[in-house]
Amino acid sequence: MSAYSNNAYEEDPDYPDYYGSQNHTRGYLKTQDYPDSLGPLNNSEDPNTRSNPYSADSRTSPDYPGSLAEPDYPGSWSDPYYPGTRSNPYSARSRSPDNPKSLAEPDYIGSWSNPYHPGSSREPDYSESQRNPDFAGSKGSGNYAGSRTNPDYLDSLGEPDYAGAQGNSNHSGSRANSNHPDSRRNPEYAGSRISPYIDTLGEPDYPDAENQSNSPNFFGEPDYPGAEDYGNSTKFWGEPDYPGAENGHDYGASENPEMTREMLSRASSIQPSFHREGDSPLGILGRQDGDYPESIEMKSREMANPYSPSVPGAPGNGYVNPAYVGDNGLSQAYGDPPLSGHDWHKSPQGQKLIASLIPMTSRDRIKAIRNQPRTMEEKRNLRKMVDKEKSKQPRRILELNGCAQCLNSISLAYRRSKNSLLELFNSISLWQKTLKVIGGKFGTSVLSYFNFLRWLLKFNIFLFIVTFSFIIIPQLTMAEKNRLRFTGLEFLTGAGYFGNTVMYYGFYTNTTIRHGSSGTSYNMQLAYIFTVGVCFSVCFFSLLFSMARYFRNNFINPHVYSRGIAKLIFCWDFTVTHESAVKLKQKNLSTEIRENLSEIRQENVKLTLNQRLIRFSAHLAAWVVSTGAAIACCIAVYYLAENNSEFLKNHENPGAVLLLPFVVSCINLVVPRFYSMFRLVERYEMPRHEVYILLIRNICLKLSIIGILCYYWLNIVALAGEECWETLIGQEIYRLLLMDFVFSLADSFLGEFLRRIIGMRLITSLGLQEFDIARNVLELIYAQTLVWIGTFFCPLLPFIQMITLFIMFYVKNISLMMNFQPLSKAWRASQMMTFFIFLLFFPSFTGVLCTLAITIWRLKPSADCGPFRGLPFFIQSIYSWIDTLSKRPSYLWVVWIYQNLVGSVHFFFILTLIVLIITYLYWQITEGRKIMIRMLHEQIINEGKDKMFLIEKLIKLQDTEKRASPTLFMPERRDVEQSGPLRVREHDAARDLRFRRSVQEDNPKA
Amino acid sequence: MGNKQTVFTHEQLEAYQDCTFFTRKEIMRLFYRYKDLAPQLVPLDYTSYPDVKVPYELIGSMPELKDNPFRQRIAQVFSEDGDGHMTLDNFLDMFSVMSEMAPRDLKAYYAFKIYDFNNDDYICVWDLEQTVTKLTRGELSAEEVSLVCEKVLDEADGDHDGRLSLEDFQNMILRAPDFLR
Repeated sequence: MSAYSNNAYEEDPDYPDYYGSQNHTRGYLKTQDYPDSLGPLNNSEDPNTRSNPYSADSRTSPDYPGSLAEPDYPGSWSDPYYPGTRSNPYSARSRSPDNPKSLAEPDYIGSWSNPYHPGSSREPDYSESQRNPDFAGSKGSGNYAGSRTNPDYLDSLGEPDYAGAQGNSNHSGSRANSNHPDSRRNPEYAGSRISPYIDTLGEPDYPDAENQSNSPNFFGEPDYPGAEDYGNSTKFWGEPDYPGAENGHDYGASENPEMTREMLSRASSIQPSFHREGDSPLGILGRQDGDYPESIEMKSREMANPYSPSVPGAPGNGYVNPAYVGDNGLSQAYGDPPLSGHDWHKSPQGQKLIASLIPMTSRDRIKAIRNQPRTMEEKRNLRKMVDKEKSKQPRRILELNGCAQCLNSISLAYRRSKNSLLELFNSISLWQKTLKVIGGKFGTSVLSYFNFLRWLLKFNIFLFIVTFSFIIIPQLTMAEKNRLRFTGLEFLTGAGYFGNTVMYYGFYTNTTIRHGSSGTSYNMQLAYIFTVGVCFSVCFFSLLFSMARYFRNNFINPHVYSRGIAKLIFCWDFTVTHESAVKLKQKNLSTEIRENLSEIRQENVKLTLNQRLIRFSAHLAAWVVSTGAAIACCIAVYYLAENNSEFLKNHENPGAVLLLPFVVSCINLVVPRFYSMFRLVERYEMPRHEVYILLIRNICLKLSIIGILCYYWLNIVALAGEECWETLIGQEIYRLLLMDFVFSLADSFLGEFLRRIIGMRLITSLGLQEFDIARNVLELIYAQTLVWIGTFFCPLLPFIQMITLFIMFYVKNISLMMNFQPLSKAWRASQMMTFFIFLLFFPSFTGVLCTLAITIWRLKPSADCGPFRGLPFFIQSIYSWIDTLSKRPSYLWVVWIYQNLVGSVHFFFILTLIVLIITYLYWQITEGRKIMIRMLHEQIINEGKDKMFLIEKLIKLQDTEKRASPTLFMPERRDVEQSGPLRVREHDAARDLRFRRSVQEDNPKA
Repeated sequence: MGNKQTVFTHEQLEAYQDCTFFTRKEIMRLFYRYKDLAPQLVPLDYTSYPDVKVPYELIGSMPELKDNPFRQRIAQVFSEDGDGHMTLDNFLDMFSVMSEMAPRDLKAYYAFKIYDFNNDDYICVWDLEQTVTKLTRGELSAEEVSLVCEKVLDEADGDHDGRLSLEDFQNMILRAPDFLR
């Protein structure tokens, strides 16, 4: 509004000549500049210095016959109210737009209109027409705010406290909300953006942040007034957003024939609201009402204004002026950081943010405040304001019900207790410091391995707690004395002494435990099966959810088209703090960038048929060899396991049982390293492909070995009719796990250590090794799979795994610190984490579920031991439980649920169908979203083009203007130099044109 | 909630807790670290909001920043007046944003500011060159650097205006979540 009124004067036919308007513009610029130069020096709370330069300047500029500012300022100065307005905090931000604004807002204070009128008497009709909508606007706001607001309104004008404005904040907030979509959309429409944040996030507060970050620009350069400050404005003009929006306005106000009327009115209606953004809360109050009339008026004036086409220079100038003025206002408001710190929350955005924060729950509010990209002081103020508002509101509610305070205090207490609880958790949170050190030295990728380890540890702790409390403790209460001798070898074999403890399935009773005569009973059978069931369903869901979360976070993008060089540049790992690590990382980064560049350079070089054939055959051979090796290993394990029992019979040594786990662990140790050597032959172009293929091969190997073992256990051991086969399986799994652990320890202490010695001393060309995340993570997955399978047969297995993981953490940590160097390749650690969890879920956990399902539904429990002795199937315990329940009328609902939901085929059929339908729908939605994303992407590109088009248009206009009036410009040359925006704009427009050209060049490629 | 410390009032601490991602203990720990940077400068009583700034030379020598190629930028971005001298508030802000708890959006915003060397709200070619130079310690040749910058713009510049705006940057970061951990 302010801008436009000023603008309108430029174009107005009532001016005697074009020069006048030119000078006028410049004069305005000067007056604007003064407060800017003073801004940093003296703060806003100084009305005298503030108003002095204004009036002084406007008086010294002689060619101001039509200047409205002149009569306005002295008038308002002498007005007793005016200094008050000046010293008002809000005026700090509206300081420079004030000048034109005071023209536009004659109706705020009655006494203002008096000094105003003489100035505007030159164009009485215009000022009338302008005043009217505005007047309506202020009236409207008065109505809106109710009778109370009006005095408030004046109050805030007259007095330096902003309580009144604060009181209005709700109104302004709601208004601003309704207004904002407009102002947000419109700049886009005009091919530009106010600030990047507005478009993407739609968060109301970001434009401020944007402006704030602008401010150093304006601030950094010391000289505002005079010709020097055009250096500043260069930067400003360099940004297409503002000019863009101005462009729309400019064309709208003048004579762009290409644009439709709608566009025009839209553009002109953005203008005021847009500029008001920098205004005080007062500005907003009138904004909503002012908008539409203005745009209409604009249109009508523009139709009635025949002059503007004939004076091509005028729009340019008129356009420079408001933009510059308005932006100065903004920049000044934010340019003074402490000022902005104090005053930010009083800006419309701040008000809106506060308004939006108030209805939130305290938790959300804190979260939102924390996530503000602002300084602490601003956040603190924001918090204070919101709390104040909040405390105001409940008071009203309090009159209605006293519960609010109670709730408030409860929520406060809850918050406090949660904070202290969080502190407690943090203090017991494992290895925080160690992880920091690892991250500092090796970066996020290696850290992800340790995080995964910690995650697994937590998982196992949970499993252990559940099994311990529901199976082991009840069993311990009625345990008999173990008469077996303990030799120590049992730690390795897991047999002997341990066979008669709570460790294995066979030890558990099938009776119902009763204590005393109170009648509380505990059915061990049911406890066993339900505990295992609960454990696995919790595992299932937690895996599923964490997997889904990772997927959501990490696979958002449907079209990955980048080669990742941008990632290399911006993926500096801020966690890395170790000096040598930083240096190494920098070095690695430069090599990687170089590699990437050479890849890009070689991209066009197509491989010949021969080369491709060679590469293809190499891959094929590698696959054949690797699968062959895996199959051979599986067969070896199978035959070994099959002949194991006979072997054991021949060897009385209790250590002989360790043969099978030993062989399996050897395979697990050797074959993956063998696989890693394939990289020498295969030579994948993308390192990521190599990692993925290695992972696939390794997981195939490990899981097929486990699969073969499961087959052996379920089909041979279980059916062999041995006594207590479940315990035997449990022991085998225990041995496998333990052997794996021992091998890992040995590998860390010996293998990696030796490798370091070799790399450092003997063959120095090898250098230090790098931590192989994939292999290490797969070892973890393998162990976890074993634990899951074994939990049914050996309920203490999670506990054992807990201990091994705990030790592993330290061992790996020490080994890492001693023997390894940071990775040379940038790893996509988070995607890897997703992949790891996916692997843990898909072949591993689902395989375990299948194995367990077969065990429970198909196998016959051993006759003489374990909780299920004597039953035909494990699941029979559930069946009989349901049978007994069905005899008791009070439990019929359980029976009903079982019969109709759990045991019913139809239910599962329908459920599956529903799930399938939902999945299909979601899939379709995803597809739709993909299309939408693509279209939005295209739109972004198109809008970039629009922007360039407008800028080009502007340049053309400028050129014609220059050509049309070179003589007009000559005598005023000095002044032209002063009013540098013009020149600066040309300069920048040329730069933008260059951008456009480069875009055009790029587009055919795209 | 013991009354052991008198550095901050209860309300101050509460405010700090609400405005950062830290717990009370961590805030105190950070305060003592801040104090240890310049023991003679920083008073032990913050209840009256003393206007104290620790100069950049001391901030930059902290182990977290010492070897970071962007340490100066980080300090500048988080300091109020852009010169790297930090008040306690700035200091807490910096650690809050850098902490693991901070959401990616926030980190992206500040990372953008860090990479935006000339503070013009766009990462332009010059900024990119600075970044690359800092990242690689000047090991790449000028030609390579310019090629890298060109490629980066190719990849990430959504609206093809020849420089990266904040949305471009965020878009890129959303695509590749490895950043800014």
